[in-house]
Order: sequence, then C-alpha cells, then structure tokens
Amino acid sequence: MEPLPANHSPRRIAHLDMDMFFAGVELLRYPELRGLPMVVGGRSIDAPRVLPDGTRSFAKLRNYVGRGVVTTSTYEARALGVFSAMGVMKAAKLALDAVLLPADFNAYRHYSLLFKQAVSIIAPEIEDRGIDEIYIDLTQHAEETHALAARIKQAVFEATGLRCSIAVAPNKLLAKIGSDLDKPDGLTILAPEDIPARIWPLKASKVNGIGPKAAQRLASLGIETIGQLAQADPKVLLEHFGRSYAEWLIDAANGRDNRPVVTRSEPKSVSRETTFERDLHVRQDRQLLTDALTRLCDRVADDLKRKGYEGKTIGIKLRFQDFSTVTRDITLPYVTQRPDDILQASRECLKRVRMVQRLRLLGIRVGGLAPFGVGLEQREAFQQAELPF
Amino acid sequence: MKININRDTLLKPLSAVNGIVERRHTLPILSNLLLEGSNGQVSLTATDLEMQISMSVPNETGDSFATTVSAKKLLDICRSLPDSSEIKLADQDSRLQISAGRSKFNLQTLPSADYPTMTRTPNTQLTLRMPQNAFRQLLRQVEFAMAQQDIRYYLNGLLLEINAEKLHIVGTDGHRLSYISCDLGQSFEKQEVILPRKTVTELIKLMDDSEEEVLIEISSNQANFTFNNIRLISKVIDGKFPDYNRVIPTGHQNKFEINRVMVLQAMQRASILSNEKYRGIRMVLGANSLRLISSNSEQEEAEEELEINYTGDPLDVGFNVTYLIDVLNNIQNEKVEFAFADANSSCLVTVPDNQNYRYVVMPMRI
Repeated sequence: MEPLPANHSPRRIAHLDMDMFFAGVELLRYPELRGLPMVVGGRSIDAPRVLPDGTRSFAKLRNYVGRGVVTTSTYEARALGVFSAMGVMKAAKLALDAVLLPADFNAYRHYSLLFKQAVSIIAPEIEDRGIDEIYIDLTQHAEETHALAARIKQAVFEATGLRCSIAVAPNKLLAKIGSDLDKPDGLTILAPEDIPARIWPLKASKVNGIGPKAAQRLASLGIETIGQLAQADPKVLLEHFGRSYAEWLIDAANGRDNRPVVTRSEPKSVSRETTFERDLHVRQDRQLLTDALTRLCDRVADDLKRKGYEGKTIGIKLRFQDFSTVTRDITLPYVTQRPDDILQASRECLKRVRMVQRLRLLGIRVGGLAPFGVGLEQREAFQQAELPF
Repeated sequence: MKININRDTLLKPLSAVNGIVERRHTLPILSNLLLEGSNGQVSLTATDLEMQISMSVPNETGDSFATTVSAKKLLDICRSLPDSSEIKLADQDSRLQISAGRSKFNLQTLPSADYPTMTRTPNTQLTLRMPQNAFRQLLRQVEFAMAQQDIRYYLNGLLLEINAEKLHIVGTDGHRLSYISCDLGQSFEKQEVILPRKTVTELIKLMDDSEEEVLIEISSNQANFTFNNIRLISKVIDGKFPDYNRVIPTGHQNKFEINRVMVLQAMQRASILSNEKYRGIRMVLGANSLRLISSNSEQEEAEEELEINYTGDPLDVGFNVTYLIDVLNNIQNEKVEFAFADANSSCLVTVPDNQNYRYVVMPMRI
C-alpha cells in the first residue's frame, strides 16, 4: 500500500457496518421474532419447524447442547450479555429463552451482495472488508457529506430491508471507530477537530489493531483510553512495543492513518476450520481426524476453485483441549488447488506437531495465492516434465 | 570417572558423530552426545532420533562411566586445543571438567539415563558385507538425484533393493532418476528399504576409500551399518518408492557417445547464460553434430558446438542443465552415451563400460 503524499486534500472515507447482520437477515425471514432475544449460531438441526397450524416452532437456547459459538445476537440478546464469539452453551446460561437459529451463510452472502451493489451504484470506490462491512472512498464525490451518507444508508435499506451504521472521517481508522459510535442505524461524521472530544475518551481497544493483548499491556502502563495513549511518552511505548508498533500506536491515537481504500484486493489466503463435537484423541479417533482433514482439504480446494486461485503455502491450525493453538505451514515448489496436494502437505505439517493433548479444532489454510493459470503460464515457458512413474 | 585421552584420539569420533547433532533441538539433550567408557574403550554417540552414530576408540579408562555433554562445545574445545594435547576428563557433580595443559573447562552435563539412544531391532532380515569403498562408490553415483524436502517424503532418500543376487540403488526427485546395481555373489530374498537422505550423506562422509568391510543389516524399519569402529543405526522411510523400472527406457534409438569431460565443460559454459531460475538448455542434434544452446531473460545467448558420431533423427530437446551437469560430475568414466526417443520423452544417460549404471532425465519445454 502506497502511503499518500503528505499534502493531499482531506479525504472522506466512510465505514459502513451492517447492524447485527446475520440476525437482521434472519428477522427478515422470521419477522415474528422481532423484539425477542435471538442468537444465530446453531446447527441445521436447530432450524425452525413449521407446525400443523402454520406457525413456526423455534429452538431455544436452554435446550442447546454442543460446542457452537454465537455468530450474531440481536440487541435484545446483547442486553442479556450475549455477544458474538461466545460459546452457545455459555450464552444459554444468560438467556435461557432466547431463540436459537442455525447460521445460513448462503442467505447472508446473498444479502451481502445486495447491500454492496446498492452502495456501489452511488459510490463505486469500495473496499470489501468482509460479509457485513465495507470502506467507501467518497473523496471524489461532489455531494455534501451528511446528505450523501444518508442517501447510502437509504439505498442499503431499500435494497435489503436492513439497517446499517455509517461514519465518514478523514481516514479508515477514524471511520471504523466512528461507525460504532452511534449504532444501530447510526450516521456519524468525524473531522480531525472532533478527535479530542469524541475519540480520546474511548477505550484504547476501540482502535482496530489494538487487540486484547496489546490493550492489556497498555493498561499495565496505566493507558486505558485513546487520549491517554495520545499523551503517552513515546519512549515508554517504544520500549514495550517495539518501534513499528509503537509508531503506529501514536499515529492511531492521534487519528492519523494514510492507508488507501483498496478497491480491488486479492485474497491472501483461503481457509476452513472445524471444531469437533468432542475433543478427539490423535490415535483413538484417528479415523475421524483423517475424515475431517480430508473433508477440510476438499472444501478449501473447492473454495480455491470457485474463487479462481491456487496457492503454494499450505498451513494447518490445531487447537488443543486447553485452547492452546499451534500452526505449521509448508511452502510447495508450485502453486496448486488440488485437494490431494493440500492433503499431502497438511500431513507433512501435522508431523511437525507434538500431539500431547486431545484436539478441539482443526483448520487448513492455503496462502501464497496467485490467480489460477498465472502459475500455469510460468510453467508453460519452462515446463519441466515429470518422470512417468 | 576420570580418563586421560589424547586430543587427536578423541577428535576423530567426536567429529564423526557431530554431523548429526541437531542445531535447532526440540529436546535439549539432543544437542548433547553420550560419552561412555568401559573395557578399555571410550565411545561417543549422537542421535537425532532418526539416526544414531556411535564410534569408539581404544583408551584405558579407570572405571566404567556414562554422561552426556554438549556436542558442539566439546568439539570446539578439542579442536582448538593444540595437536596431541593430553586431555583429562573428569565427571563431578553433574559437571564435566576438561583440562589440558593449563586450560580448564567446566561443562554442564545431563544424565546419561535420559539420553534417547536408539535400540537395534532384533529381527534383522538381511545381512550384507562388502568393501566400504565399493559401497561408498555406489552411493556416490546415485545420491545426487535424491529429492530434498519433497512432500513426496519417500523420495527424500535412496531405495536399496536386494533381489536375488543383485543390489539395486535408486534415487529420484521426480524429474530425473539415477540407478545403479551390483552383483552380490549370493542369492537373497527380495527386500527393499528407503534410506533417509541424511543417512546417505553421513555414510558417504564417514566411510573411507579402504577395502575394509562394511556390515549392512537391514530389517523392515531399520538399517544398520558397521565399519571402522563406527555403528550407524538409521530408521528407514516408511513409504512406497515408485517403480523405477517403468521409467528406465529400453528402446531409445537416437544415441551418441561422447567424451564426458568435454561435454561437461561445454555444458558448464553454456549454463552461464541459461535462465537463472529454470536453467534451461537446448540440445540440438543434427548429422554428426551436437549444439548446446542457452539464453537468459536478458536475451543473452550462448552456443557450444560439439562434433559427434550421430546418424539418428534431428532433435531439439530442452533440459534443466543442472540435471545434466550433476550426472556428468558424479560419474568418473571417460565416455558417456546419451539416448533419446523424441523431444518429449526422457533422455537416458549410460556409460559404455558400466552396464549397471542408468540415469534418466526428463526434458524441459523451453
């Protein structure tokens, strides 16, 4: 990413974040759940059943047994303390009567496409940040900021029936923080002069890039808010975080961020992972593990094929019983999207892990991606034939 | 324990076993070597859990002892002491004291009982003996074709196949294959193992040019080699080596003989301007002529013309020149023969005075 020249005119970068996106999509299908606590994160057996009288019967959190995690919760469920990434069983303790729905990624992808298309008609400079959020570069747009942002929100609602929160700021960092300030259905405009009043009182962890560990270390230095971070002694930060991260922290706290909106990004990696129904033993459950591994490799290969990529770095991720996580990867001399190659490489990676505990999660990742066929062309030029064993 | 030993006597086994000590060890004790003394000899053992090398030297020892100490530090110390120094080793309170002349060193030790020595499997299925220079020569002629860190893990080693009265040794990385066989003088039941790459390179390093025998003992999961007071125990690669017979061609009609050194030197010159990454070179065959042509990404070109005795089809075949230079460098014979079918099939390299050697290399489309 090229940093922008210092003397550019102020940019107008919007961050648009769909409000409780998965839950929102579900509410479109099951409007009778509006106003009720509801979480998405079940399995397909938790899907609602249609009763003889035509009404639907929904699974309740209280009956849930399993190891899924909450992917989204409605604001009513959040009021009870249920947030995404929480184990569903744990959520059940907080909200016994909340409705549980299985995640339906096909539906979410469909609505994701709808809202992005709607935005792109108004402002085409979009950076895709995942299924439910985007950055939009509005710098070149003639329209006044507030009216423009309101028009984008309206377009999203008309296309999907879903609400979103949007913030417009001089850069991505501030826009991302801003879109969270007025949720749901928010519209926030931040200028550099708003930083002391609106950004500095916030917790440091609100900055995208200050994760739980960094936040904890900052707290141990007495730095809780973004404002305190902005006032912090650079030397102290340097000492605790290393040069590049310390410099970034200082810039971030002062609302400085030159990253451009990347409208056409190439994926860096494709991955799939699965959490087992129960923790698996490496030897006793060998067959289950082999099946899971093969299935993951097939799915990653399918993903690569669908997206039109092949990769050369194959990695595995293992999470053990005690939640400790290890990753290993191997770089092949060629790019591939073949499930056999991915499987073989993952096996090599697995050999490099000491299996001391039962396994909770297994993941496969393919990185070092190149669009399919690019590698082929290179090989065309100098193609070494293989021995025909 | 207390032993007195000459520096040069100790240095030999120390250097011999040091080659396999892991630098990046997962288990701290693996960076140590096992030092044992009994019955008038001192023996040193190193292992990386895949293979183990032990070497013993005769030396009067007071009593039996065993301890483990950092292999690298002990080697560095011995190396840097003056030639023929008398070294005293004494084991005290989990420390190894080394003194020589006015130098003193005090090293940490770990208990010998914790050292993960590999044990020999009892069920040796096959025992072979041959002069170590002969065995070493066999390995040297094929080892360069082994794969390195290939995900087809069974290629990262050499196949040793014993069948009836013959020993066949094969190495391949999937692009080229080297094969050699020799007569054993007696008949054996069919047996095959894949020796790991590291074992092969250590064997080549440790065996010398003497006629002294190497004892080779093979079982389904282990190969043991005994020579020159050295005992090498190696795991074997558990996998199925590809069927080499399928890719060694028999009917290639377009062939010529050429002086090995002459074609080697011409290839080395031509390789200078071959593509840095792919190392492509064209072999262009016409009536009584071989031209070697290369060019790189800067459009620089090299051409070598060699006079040969050739009446076959005109051919223009590309190769990775490294694969050709490799074989020419690793055989010693005066003449080599190249045989082709067409531009898309393999090239067979043989030596007219040794029917037991074959090298197959696949072409590269340039």
